[in-house]
Amino acid sequence: MVDAVREYIVRVIEFWPALFESLWETGIMMGFAMIAAILLGLPLGTLLYLTAKGKPMENIYIYQLSNFFVNIVRSFPFLLLVVAMQPFIRAVYGRATGDPVAASFPMMLIAIALYARFVQQSLLDVPRGVTETAHSMGASRLQLVWKFLFVESRSSLIIGFTTAFVSFISYSTIMGVVGGGGIGDFAIRYGYQRYETDIMYTAIIVIIIIVQIIQWLGLKLAKKVDKR
Amino acid sequence: MVTDGPGVFRLINMNSVTKTYQGKNGPFNAVDKVSLKVEENEIFGLIGESGAGKSTLLRFINALESPTEGYVSVDDTDVFNLSRKQLRQHQKGIGMIFQQFNLLNNKSVRENIQLPLELHKYEKPLTVEEVLAFVGLPDKADNYPSQLSGGEKQRVGIARALITRPKILLCDEPTSALDESTTEEIVDVLKRAHEAFDMTILVVTHELNVIKRMCRRCAVLEKGRLIDIIDIAPKTRKQSYKSYHDRVLKVLKNG
Repeated sequence: MVDAVREYIVRVIEFWPALFESLWETGIMMGFAMIAAILLGLPLGTLLYLTAKGKPMENIYIYQLSNFFVNIVRSFPFLLLVVAMQPFIRAVYGRATGDPVAASFPMMLIAIALYARFVQQSLLDVPRGVTETAHSMGASRLQLVWKFLFVESRSSLIIGFTTAFVSFISYSTIMGVVGGGGIGDFAIRYGYQRYETDIMYTAIIVIIIIVQIIQWLGLKLAKKVDKR
Repeated sequence: MVTDGPGVFRLINMNSVTKTYQGKNGPFNAVDKVSLKVEENEIFGLIGESGAGKSTLLRFINALESPTEGYVSVDDTDVFNLSRKQLRQHQKGIGMIFQQFNLLNNKSVRENIQLPLELHKYEKPLTVEEVLAFVGLPDKADNYPSQLSGGEKQRVGIARALITRPKILLCDEPTSALDESTTEEIVDVLKRAHEAFDMTILVVTHELNVIKRMCRRCAVLEKGRLIDIIDIAPKTRKQSYKSYHDRVLKVLKNG
């Protein structure tokens, strides 16, 4: 038993540089996905909310267009989205395979669509009276969003972001297919293709720990800012 | 300027306003050809049963609702003929309080009250301390709405409306979510506000006692139509009770 543990530790140390590198690659993909979710997903979700029927900026064309985009991206099987985007990534970034930045493009697209949906849901949960109050005070649209809607939905926005983050990790494990690397790719290469099961489980446990920490942090933050 | 003899200034003017909704059984009028004038500085009541159209009528004044037909003017401004920017300026001068208080639950009492000042520049706003003292909650500035009772929340709602020194205060069922003695307190705060800060108040309610205690005139609405405008008999000072228990004894025992 003691020998087995010692042998396992030695193997983990041996694989540590490769494991660390794949974590770094995952980090790059996650970073791009999160930035895209905040910079583009948040405004898109807000637009979905504002332009819907009966809302302050009702506009059927913008609403349908945004809605269509989100539905298309989300209904695309992710692996096929990755493959289908190859020519586009090559045109924009120069290469489509073999590095985590190239692999981040489909991650960003799914992140925008997924988080936009969460944001829309969060805003729909804000009581009608909040919008009415903003309107009665003569708030501009920007003020309505910043000073009323986001304030009242902030904990729900954070929980949505946490949920989206966990999904991004799951999506990122596919990116080995196009040479994007990452922790999922690491698990497949060593565990599945080379039968080094212990290393695969180690990778999976690392993923689970990351997810747990993020989930815990997200809920804690959401609770802290929730004064309702 | 629309005047009726010296000293009487018609501040709010509604002319044949109608609001039509497309219902299941064809169109119906939530507000039906109502014409109404409210004088500067009066407390005017709008009463009727639920669905009578009184809240809709109130919301024409600050354009939260728009009529299908008819004309609404405030201070000679045609409310439904304004650019978006002009409309915001119009709304800036009108305070509103709501049945469900509509406070932002993630903001403290202080932040809630300051909110209107963050949206526009006002010439001579009051301070948070002044309005909180006025509504009788001087030590609640750092609380959150979830820590307050219904009556306290409405006081914060009133404070938030008063801080801008509005020329018009719209009250939509201000006491309908409150019990009887809290209702009286809120009515008192509103009456004091009327005396202290030169303004016109419109009150929508189905509670006749609130109207009797506050208003000199009120309009009666039924199924969207204006049935009558009543001059209210001068109030007989209502007895105030020391406690809820006293009131229960008075009402239940002495009938």
